[in-house]
Amino acid sequence: MPPQAQQFIDALNATIPLEGYLVVGAIMFAIGAWGALIRRNAVVVFMCIELMINAVNLTLVAFADYLPGARGAGVGYAVLVIAVAAAEVAVGLAIALAVYRTRKTVNVDEVDLMKG
Amino acid sequence: MTQTVGQQLIIAAIPGLPALVFLVLALFGRYLKEGAQYVAIFGVATSLVFSFFALLSVAGVIGDGQPIEFAVNWIDLGEGGSFQMGVYIDGLAAVMLVVVCFVSLMIQLYSGGFMQDDARFAWYYAVLNLFTASMLGLVLAPNFIELYVFWELVGLCSYLLIGHWFEKPQAARAATKAFIVTRIGDAALFIGIIMFWRATGTTSYQGIAEAAQAGFIGGSLFTAAVVLVFVGAIGKSAQFPLHVWLPDAMEGPTPVSALIHAATMVAAGVYLVARTYDIFVQSPAAMLVVAYIGGFTALMAATMALTKKDIKRVIAYSTVSQLGYMMLALGIGSFTAGIFHLYNHAFFKALLFLCAGSIIYAMNSYNVFEMGGLRHRMPITFWTMVIAGLSLAGIFPLSGFWSKDAVVASVFAEHFYVLFGMALLTVFLTAFYIFRAIFLAFMGEPRSEAAGEAVESPGIMTGPMVILAFLSVVSGFVGTPIRNYFAEFVVPSAFAAETLALEPEAFSFVLAALSVAMAVAGIALAYAFYVPKPEWASALAYRFSSVYTFLDKGWYFDDLYDRVFVRPAMATGRFVREFDRRTLSGLISGVGRGFLGAGERLRPLQTGGVQNYALFILLSVLVLGVIVGAIAGAQYAFLMVALIAVVTLTAVAVGARL
Amino acid sequence: MIVAFAFLAGMTLVSALGVVVSRNVVHSALFMSGSFLGVAGFFVMLNAPALAAFQVLIYVGAVTVVILFGIMFTQRPQVRHFRTILQRQLWPGLFVALGVGAFLAYVLSIEDWAGTEPGNGPREVAALGEILLGVNGSPPIFGLLFEVISVLLLVAVIAAIVISRRKTGEGVDRGVEE
Repeated sequence: MPPQAQQFIDALNATIPLEGYLVVGAIMFAIGAWGALIRRNAVVVFMCIELMINAVNLTLVAFADYLPGARGAGVGYAVLVIAVAAAEVAVGLAIALAVYRTRKTVNVDEVDLMKG
Repeated sequence: MTQTVGQQLIIAAIPGLPALVFLVLALFGRYLKEGAQYVAIFGVATSLVFSFFALLSVAGVIGDGQPIEFAVNWIDLGEGGSFQMGVYIDGLAAVMLVVVCFVSLMIQLYSGGFMQDDARFAWYYAVLNLFTASMLGLVLAPNFIELYVFWELVGLCSYLLIGHWFEKPQAARAATKAFIVTRIGDAALFIGIIMFWRATGTTSYQGIAEAAQAGFIGGSLFTAAVVLVFVGAIGKSAQFPLHVWLPDAMEGPTPVSALIHAATMVAAGVYLVARTYDIFVQSPAAMLVVAYIGGFTALMAATMALTKKDIKRVIAYSTVSQLGYMMLALGIGSFTAGIFHLYNHAFFKALLFLCAGSIIYAMNSYNVFEMGGLRHRMPITFWTMVIAGLSLAGIFPLSGFWSKDAVVASVFAEHFYVLFGMALLTVFLTAFYIFRAIFLAFMGEPRSEAAGEAVESPGIMTGPMVILAFLSVVSGFVGTPIRNYFAEFVVPSAFAAETLALEPEAFSFVLAALSVAMAVAGIALAYAFYVPKPEWASALAYRFSSVYTFLDKGWYFDDLYDRVFVRPAMATGRFVREFDRRTLSGLISGVGRGFLGAGERLRPLQTGGVQNYALFILLSVLVLGVIVGAIAGAQYAFLMVALIAVVTLTAVAVGARL
Repeated sequence: MIVAFAFLAGMTLVSALGVVVSRNVVHSALFMSGSFLGVAGFFVMLNAPALAAFQVLIYVGAVTVVILFGIMFTQRPQVRHFRTILQRQLWPGLFVALGVGAFLAYVLSIEDWAGTEPGNGPREVAALGEILLGVNGSPPIFGLLFEVISVLLLVAVIAAIVISRRKTGEGVDRGVEE
């Protein structure tokens, strides 16, 4: 095998630096935040919030894997976060449904009784 | 010398009782109503008795003839000096006490009739008694501080009483004018007191006099302080140039004028000079100032009285004039003559006012040209007023003759010829104007309906008048050249007498005759002008109308003061008020409005939209994160700048959208 | 490794973008599951396969379904213009999101992570179990939290039922007709 190809394969097999996961998590968080601020449909807003939660989870687990001092606590937290997120989705959607029933709209910016 | 506690209490009760009456009437007056006069009269009568006690004690009849003095420490500043409140009664003070109490009693009796239907009857008596208490306190004071306290109180009572009928705007204005003008004098007095205190460390009269002798306070500074004290006396005694308040003070009830502006308060200035004579005599320059101001005032006021229609104003100017006489006497060194005149003047001047009040009560008018022919309708008033007028003019053998003659004679004896001329001319004018008023009021035919229907006043008013008339006749007899009890009793201190080094005065028949002649001439002229041919007077007024106006307007003093002092002061006041209203209040409400406006403009931020709020939250978190990062490390500095730019842009964008 | 990482990162981020910009709500939901799958892949790469399983089960399985149910009940027709689905604060939101992302990325990567090696994750399920129980050096708190979470889930279920209960007298939901 030619040495450059070997080098290339070795390079490909190099460990991913921690920053990589963190940056991906940050970008995903930013996208989720943007979407949460941007979309009018309440359900879509929920989805974006789920994105943000996942980004956080990713960061947590990345730290758990790379930093020995935490002794894997990050993964445990990630489990709990998943559970809480699930609960939150249930309740949130129930609220969205209730609002939809009374206001006949699912657009977040049309529910503005507190205006002024 | 020490007194027993009982004696001290009695002395303290002299001003204390009227003060107590004031409290009682002020608090419970509305329940007492007509009963107020009895409470008041009881208080003053008792004070009178106690004053007699003091007088007799000092005279040696029941005591030991020594001045009564005791004091308590009021404020103790340790090294800085202490101020005492006390009592000092010698011959001078004792006589004043009796005079004040007696005249006050007469006035309060009289007021029972005069103020009968007044709405604030009890309050009137309350303030009258507060005044009496303050005046008595002033007389008793052994030091400047105590004097000043009562001096101010007296001024306050004068204000309250002049403005008793404050529903009348002129009365309110007159009261304010009186207070402000005397305030000028009070300020000067206070400066003088402070100057003395700084130089000598004490405020007691004796202390300062001794310190001045010892040279603690030197030449021009001393004279300046003395003159300042005299300015205070000028204010209170309505001498030139602070005389303008007294004629206007006639807006108050007539008994008030009788008490305050004839017999007592205005006498306080004269009393002050007399009391601090030991200090005054050490400054010949100050003495001259006193004498010339007194003499000039006497003449000036007499000229102003010549043209007045208001009978009370004639008498008011007369008071100013006679006070000038007293100042003149004190200024040239004849202490006894001045005080003797003060004592006599109290009685006949009060009587003159009471007579005027009687006429006003009967006729409801004070204008002499509306009176006439009252001689037959109001005989008691007529005769008592004539007696008072004769005494004022100085006709033998009434009291005014003895004291006025003493003044005039001593002026001549001390070789003050200019002042002598002024004094003599004033005698003539005095007789003229007072009898002008009397003739116009009582002789001839009634000139108005009210005059035609006037009846004599009730007994409670005429009683005091008669008593005072009697006194106007006999009060002079204690000071005749035959046996001058007064001069033996009321003397300046040995020190003062030494410093003045006056020649003892022998009674001069020539001078006496001269002054009587001038008086008679004045009366005759008044008679000629007003009784048979009244049109002579008006013709004369017409011929010399500019002179007439000059006199009538009080030598234009009021206008002068108005232009120079009052208008600028009012303008300043207006300016300050507007500034306060517009600028300051505007500033404050502007702040309020600013906040309201800002709030209104921030209102659109509350869109009601959740995502907008979420945006702001995210924004804030970002900013906080950046700030924390910046604090944590400088490597975030550029990032912070960049992010702040982003944040600002976002906020603006959000705001624009909203 | 890098290939896998790059692939998974692309899948995740593109799907995330898809959630935000897609005009069809159901498309958004599907993009969301795609994103979840990507994250699951990351978990595998980070030596936490048990967690990856959880992720797929719960997120892709349950959460996506619930969201789809929600979409069903609040149905809206597909829109033609972006205007209808996007709020007015498109650009401000973009800036803020960019700012947040940049800030986070910068803060996280500026640290000196040198010397850290992967491999500490719970490779076996048993390891995850040990973490949750708090034995072998893990923080002992997870036991309590686990119990609390179960209570939370119960409460959430009840809450969801209560909130979305139809009041008596209301008609059947005919959201389709709009």
